[in-house]
Amino acid sequence: MAPRQSFAGRWVPGEMALLFVLMATLPLWIGPVGLYQYLGIEIAIWMIYGLGYNLLLGYSGLPSFGHGAFFGIGAYAFGLFQLRVFESLWLGMVCAVVAAAVAGAFVACFLSHRRGIYFALLTIAFGQVFWFVSIKWHAVTGGEDGLLNIPRPALELGVISPALSTNADFFYFVLFVLAVVTVLLWRLVHSPFGKVLQAIRQNEERARFVGYNVWLFKWAAFTLSAAIAGLAGSLFSMAQQSAYPDVMSLHASGIIVMMTLIGGGFVSFWGPVIGVAVYFVARDVLGTLTETWLLWFGLVFVLAVIFKPEGIAGAWQEFTGAKGRHALARRAMAGLISAGRK
Amino acid sequence: MSHILPHLLNGLSLGLLFALIALGFMLIVSVMEVINLSHGSLFALGAYFALVVIDPDFAWLGSFGEAYRALPLPARYGLAFLIAPALVAVVGMGLEVCMRRTYGKKAEYGLLLTFGAALVIEETIRVLWGPSEQYLQVPRDISGAFLFGGLIYSKYKLYAALFAAIAIGLVWLFLERTPYGAIIKAGAHDSEMVRALGINLTRLRLLVFGLGAGLAGFAGIVLTPIWGLRPHVGIDAVIPAFLIIVLGGIGSFSGAVTGGILVGLAVGITGAYASDWSLLSMYLLLIAVVTVRARGLFGKKSVLEA
Repeated sequence: MAPRQSFAGRWVPGEMALLFVLMATLPLWIGPVGLYQYLGIEIAIWMIYGLGYNLLLGYSGLPSFGHGAFFGIGAYAFGLFQLRVFESLWLGMVCAVVAAAVAGAFVACFLSHRRGIYFALLTIAFGQVFWFVSIKWHAVTGGEDGLLNIPRPALELGVISPALSTNADFFYFVLFVLAVVTVLLWRLVHSPFGKVLQAIRQNEERARFVGYNVWLFKWAAFTLSAAIAGLAGSLFSMAQQSAYPDVMSLHASGIIVMMTLIGGGFVSFWGPVIGVAVYFVARDVLGTLTETWLLWFGLVFVLAVIFKPEGIAGAWQEFTGAKGRHALARRAMAGLISAGRK
Repeated sequence: MSHILPHLLNGLSLGLLFALIALGFMLIVSVMEVINLSHGSLFALGAYFALVVIDPDFAWLGSFGEAYRALPLPARYGLAFLIAPALVAVVGMGLEVCMRRTYGKKAEYGLLLTFGAALVIEETIRVLWGPSEQYLQVPRDISGAFLFGGLIYSKYKLYAALFAAIAIGLVWLFLERTPYGAIIKAGAHDSEMVRALGINLTRLRLLVFGLGAGLAGFAGIVLTPIWGLRPHVGIDAVIPAFLIIVLGGIGSFSGAVTGGILVGLAVGITGAYASDWSLLSMYLLLIAVVTVRARGLFGKKSVLEA
């Protein structure tokens, strides 16, 4: 048995505290290092998206290549709510999360008895269906242009409702959502639910024989991950004040896979966080130097898959000699099996 | 019935073209157990190479270049059909060498690697040829339009379908009537057993990847005069290819051809009633078939399911 951790250690471990401090002080140092405030918003939104996505890729071992669909559904749902129903921050976000979760739950019904390549292929197919509909269903989605002029509602807190119109204010709101999502996901992956997902990744059949309803766990993981993508999508439509089909394309869906993998989603909870930061900073720094930065990013990704699929986090763990999640997961698996035998 | 006939024909020719795209994809997935997401980029690369072979605009070619460019277009077009797929095959073999470290790992690694390769190839195309749309010249004899039963048909579409049918026939002959074809089929069935029988599996994989990539390049030359040539045209090719393979069943030649024609017909017929939504029909067809038959129409149990 591992020693019982303190309350703070269980809910906000050191890495998370570091992330929060870095992000919270970002407005102070992002200007001086030559970047800009809006980048912080993008990074925070994609961190939410990536953390939710890694529940599938890293924890459950389910490679979804169509996750952009749920991000896009969240963005559209939020936009449509503001434009067609009424302006409301919280209700719009709830609407986005529910829409993405419902779509995810529906898709997951077709996916959850699949694994590996077949799973990946079907996620591509469903992702393309949603992307295609978003382009063609002009009456609702506005076609290729998407929804424009989506208002960014004020933050309704009952007594006061501060406006989020400046990017500096909006950044802190996104950061707040990121913090909530990070803490909840951290608890989730360390809960028995998270352990079962890891067991499924390691050996689905064994997890089934131990007595877990593997289908239901995969379904729940997919739905939850889609809901988080939808949440990130709603923030994105607020940030951009528009929603468009680009984020749902296969290309965009692939980028989140690349971010998660390069960062080290296979071995660490923090993989997607690292990957997202690296991607966006690389985009802006390399993007000013060369127009072909995506070529170089693609090359780095290819090299990472060939030589270091554990990504940056994996390299760091090797460097510091820290125990990877693999070791922990293996212990968890052993625990599950012995629990099943009793 | 008569008003749907042109759409059926259109669908059938589109189906043959889709089958052509899917063939190389099928060869690679069945022998290597790799979903080659860079198939579309290799497809685009084939067309761009053909562009260069048809009209090489290099100063260092000197007088040879001028003499070559004075050749009639059909001759240069024919040469493009030989040279460009061969060049794409070389690129494909290079990719295969990069992939060797992922063999024996989960199949997802191959998927991720080829996704990255697709991005790299596409961006390289953007650097070398620019982002704007280009046109692949087609000899006058096989372009233009003709009238049939009061309707205008594009002559080139018909020829493209013919090229596709010929290529499909040749691949079939190669697989069914030559010893190499037998080895490839055996490799698709059980690659470890093939190795145990003393066949150089490393070389087989290299050749199959080269062949698959070459077929992708060939399909690119045939199709881009219809679709137009942009750096990201590959996405329009790889998506149908993988849909067809999953639909037809991984590792099945007849599945790939049948799947291609089915998808073509589905797109053609939906095009008759709701042209905006015609491409959606292929995704729905796939989801419908795969929900009922997990391994596709002709699929057998494959290593990919492990």
